[in-house]
Amino acid sequence: MNNRVNPDLPKELKEFGIRDWNECYHCGTCTAICPLTSQGVLFPRKEIRLMQMGLKDHLSTCVEPWLCYYCGECSEKCPRNANPGELMMSLRRYLTSIYDWTGLSKKFYTSKVWELAFIIFFAILVVLAFLFVLPPLDPTLTADGGVKVNSFAPVRIVEIFDWTMAFIVAGLLVSNILRMYYRVVWMGTPNGVGILVHIREFWQLIFNFVVQPKFSKCDDKSYWLYHWLLMSGYTIMFILIVVFLPWFQTEKIYPAWHLQRWLGYYATIGLLIGLTAAIIGRLKKQQVKFQFSHVSDWLFLAMLTLTVITGILIHIFRINGMPLATYVCYIAHMAILVPMILIEVPFSKWSHLAYRPFAVYFARLQKSAIQQTV
Amino acid sequence: MNERVKKGILFDNSILTGNGSVNYKALYDNFKNYSQIALIQIINNTGSEIVNKIADKLREGSIDQLIIAGNKPGFISGNFIQPMLDAGKSVHDIKLVSFQEYGLLSESDTAMAQALVECAIKGVSFEAAAMQRDSEMISDTLVIGGGITGIQAALEMADGHVKVYLVEKSGTIGGKMATFDKTFPTLDCAACILTPKMVEVNQHPNIELLTYSEVLDVWGVPGNYWVTVKKKARRVNLATCIGCGTCAEKCPATAPSEFDAGTCLRKAIYIPFPQAVPNKYLIDENACIYLKTGKCRACVKACPVPDCINLDEMDETVKMNVGNIIVATGFKPFDAARMPQFGYGKLPNVVTALEFERLLNAAGSTGGNIHTRSQDKKGNWVFTTETKKPDRLAIIHCVGSRDENHNKYCSRVCCMYSLKFAHLVREKLPDAEVFEFYIDMRAFGKGYEEFYNRISREGIQMIRGKTASVEPSGEALRLRGEDIEHRRLLDVEVDMVVLATGLEPSEDADILSRILGLKRSPDGWFMAMNSNTDPTGTSFGGIYIAGVCQGPKDIPDSVAQGSAAAAKVIQNVIRGKVSVGFENLTPETVLNKANELAIIT
Repeated sequence: MNNRVNPDLPKELKEFGIRDWNECYHCGTCTAICPLTSQGVLFPRKEIRLMQMGLKDHLSTCVEPWLCYYCGECSEKCPRNANPGELMMSLRRYLTSIYDWTGLSKKFYTSKVWELAFIIFFAILVVLAFLFVLPPLDPTLTADGGVKVNSFAPVRIVEIFDWTMAFIVAGLLVSNILRMYYRVVWMGTPNGVGILVHIREFWQLIFNFVVQPKFSKCDDKSYWLYHWLLMSGYTIMFILIVVFLPWFQTEKIYPAWHLQRWLGYYATIGLLIGLTAAIIGRLKKQQVKFQFSHVSDWLFLAMLTLTVITGILIHIFRINGMPLATYVCYIAHMAILVPMILIEVPFSKWSHLAYRPFAVYFARLQKSAIQQTV
Repeated sequence: MNERVKKGILFDNSILTGNGSVNYKALYDNFKNYSQIALIQIINNTGSEIVNKIADKLREGSIDQLIIAGNKPGFISGNFIQPMLDAGKSVHDIKLVSFQEYGLLSESDTAMAQALVECAIKGVSFEAAAMQRDSEMISDTLVIGGGITGIQAALEMADGHVKVYLVEKSGTIGGKMATFDKTFPTLDCAACILTPKMVEVNQHPNIELLTYSEVLDVWGVPGNYWVTVKKKARRVNLATCIGCGTCAEKCPATAPSEFDAGTCLRKAIYIPFPQAVPNKYLIDENACIYLKTGKCRACVKACPVPDCINLDEMDETVKMNVGNIIVATGFKPFDAARMPQFGYGKLPNVVTALEFERLLNAAGSTGGNIHTRSQDKKGNWVFTTETKKPDRLAIIHCVGSRDENHNKYCSRVCCMYSLKFAHLVREKLPDAEVFEFYIDMRAFGKGYEEFYNRISREGIQMIRGKTASVEPSGEALRLRGEDIEHRRLLDVEVDMVVLATGLEPSEDADILSRILGLKRSPDGWFMAMNSNTDPTGTSFGGIYIAGVCQGPKDIPDSVAQGSAAAAKVIQNVIRGKVSVGFENLTPETVLNKANELAIIT
C-alpha cells in the first residue's frame, strides 16, 4: 500500500459533500458512542484521521464506512461539531466512485449536469423507442374488457430488454464489488485470507442482505423497519418485472385475492412507507442523518417516488379499462425507471444494496485474518 | 500642520479578532477626500500582489508619511519600511494606529476609530487628545466577591490604607478555594494558605465585611459611585453570636450543605464550615421550619445569648459611596447533568470535581476518606464512612469544556486538578486503580508539566480518549471509550467516576454586567480592556475585574489579578483622581482636543 501523503485528497473529498474534517481533535467520543463498533473495527475516528493525514490509499481500503448505518449518535455527541456521521455518509459516496472503474460514478456525484443529462438522454431514448420501434398504440379493449398491454408493449420484447438491462447493471456491480474486494481484503488485510474462511463466512452476506441486522442495532428501530419494508418491496417488484414478467404483466385482470395482485400491493405499500419516512425525515431534518441532503439523495428519492406513482397509475387505469391513459403512464414509468436503474444501481446511491452486505462479509474476513495472525 | 506633506493611509483589514471589526469601508470613504492624502487603500489580505503595488508606490517618493491603521498594524508594517527608506524617508515616517489597543473592535466603534486615525493624520497623540479631565475620587473601594481574588485585592488595598467594603453573597468568605483540599502543583493545604487571609480580612480595621449580601444597584460617575447593597436577613445577630453551636444541635431541619457541594447535610441554622469568616451562624430561610410553618423556634429556645436569634428579621439595604469597584465574582462549575451520557444525577457514584474535593478534604463529610455514595434513612444521597471504598476510579476530563455543544473554551484548571485527584486517591487508597481519560493534557503553568510527569509515574492509567458514556453495571459503573494511543475500545468497570467539570461564569455575572454595564465576551466571561496590557481594566474608569470572572484561571493567576486590580485602585488613590474610561469619551471631544493640540504644535 502506498503510504504517501496525498495533498490533493481534501480537494477531491470536498466534491463529495465532505465538510471540514479538520475540526476533529481526536477525543474518541464518536468511536466509543457508536453502537456498531467493536474491538478491531473502530470508526469513524480512524477515517477522519486518514482524511486529515491525506492517506488516500489507506482510505480507499477502508470498509468501515459501509458498516455505519448513520444513527447520528456520533454527530450529536461530537464536541467539535465535526459531524462524523455525515463524513461517513460522504465517504460512502467517495468509495462508490473509487470502486467504479468507468469513472461515471464520480461524474454523477460531483456534477449535476452530468447526472441530469444522463437521465434525460435515456428517458428520451425510452420514449422514442415506444413511439417508433414498438407497435402503435391500440386504443381498443380485449373481449373481456382488459387493456391490450401486451400488444402495446409485447411481453417478449420487454422481457428481453429487462434481462439485458439486468445483466449490464449486474455486470457493472459485480466488477465494482471485485474492485472493492481487491482493495479491502487483498490490500487491506496484511496476511491474506484463506479460502475456507471465505466459505465459512459466506452466510453473513446472505443474512445481512436479507435481514440487515446491523441497521437494527442503531437506536431508532423504526427506521430499520421502514428501510426493510422499502428494500423487501423493491426486491419483490424487481423479481416480478425481470423474472416473472409474463406472469405479472397480463391483459387479463385477476380477482383481488390473486397472488399476482397481492405481491404487487405488498411491494407498492412497502415502497410507499419507506419513501414517506425518508422524505418526511429529510424535510423535517430533526435527526442528524437527515440534516444534510446531497443532490443525489433527493434525486434518488424523487425518481423512485415517481416510478411508484406511475406504477400505481398504470394499475388503476388498467383495471378500469382506460387504454390511452395506461399507455401514457407506462411510457412515463419506463422513462423514469430505466435511467434510474442505470444510474443508481451501479454508479450511485443504490449501489449500497450490494456494498453494504459485502462490506459486512469482507469485514468478517478481515477480522478472522487478524485473529489468525494473533 | 503642513498641508504640503503628502500622507498615505493603509487600512489593514487582514487580521480578524473574532469579535467583528470597525467599518473599514466607512473610514476609507471618510478619508479619501482629504487634500493631504495621496494614497489610501484597504488591505483585505496580505498577499504579495497588493503589498508590492503599494511598496512600488512608496518607492516613487510621493508619500512623505505612511499611516497604517488596523488591529495589529505592526504585522504588515515591515513590508513598507524598506520602500520608505529607498525613497529617502525615515522609519519614523511610518505611523501605526492600532484599533485593538483601544478596544475598538466592533462596527459601533467606527466613529472613535475615525478620531484615532484623524489624530494620526494631525500628528497628535491619541492619548493626549483622549486624556479627559480626571474626575475627583473618593478613596473608598468596593470589592464584589469574597473568594481568594477578592480577599487578595481587599487585603492589598487595606494594607495601603484604603477603606474597603468586601461584599460576599454567601455566609462566609473564602469562595471555592476554601472547599479545596490541596492546591496543585505543590500539593499545599489550601485551607492553610487561605484561612489566615480570611481571618486577616475579618480583623483588618480598613475592611468592612458584608457577608450574605448582594449588590443591588450602582449609579454615579467614575470616582464617585453610589452602591446599594442588600444585606440578606441572616436572622442571627453578628455582633452577639458566640458561635457555640447549641442552636444547630437543637435544630430539627436539614438541607444539603452548599459548602460541601451537597455531599452531606447541614442544619437549617448553620455555619458554612468550621473556619468560616465570620464564624457566626445564619439561617437558611428555605429550610427553616419556623419560616415555613410558623412553629418551631427550637434555636431561639436553645440559644444562650438573649435576643441573638431574631427569626423575623427582614432583608435590609445599605448604601455606600465608593470611588472604585473591583469585581471578583468567580465562577460556577458546569452542571454535569447537561451531559446525560455521563449519568450525573442519575448514577449516585458519578460525582463532580467539587464534590470529590469535599470527599478528599479532611474537613469534609467522610473526614478525607473516599467512600461511595449511599442513601440515608430519609432517602438523601450522601457520603458516609460506612460504605465501601472504591477499588477502581475513573476521572473524565473536559466535561463541559472544549465542547461546541456547551462551552468552547478550555477551562484551564481541570487537567491539573484531575492529576491532583489521581495523586490524592493513590495516596489515600494505595491499592486503587485510577484511570484518567483525557483528550490533551494541558499542563501550562510553572511546575505543571513536572507535576504531570511526576503523577504519570505513580502508576496511574493515563488513557488518551474521552469516554463516550457511563452506564450502570450492577453496583459498578461501566465506561466505554476509545484508547487512541493503543487503537482499541475500552470497556472499564469502576466503582466511582469523577467528572472534571469545567468553569462557567457565575449566575451573578448576568445581573452584575447589567448593573455595572460591563462588556462580556461571547463565552460569557467579563471582557477586560486589553488582555495583554490592561487585563483588569474595563471601559469604565474606576471599575476593575479580577480573577476567574474574566476567564478561567488557576489560583496563582487569580491572586495575581487580585493584586493587579488593587494596584490600579491604589494608583488612583495616590493620584486622588480617576481617569474616565474610554466609555465616557466621545469622538467629538477627542477631535476638539486634537485640533487644539494640533494648533499648539
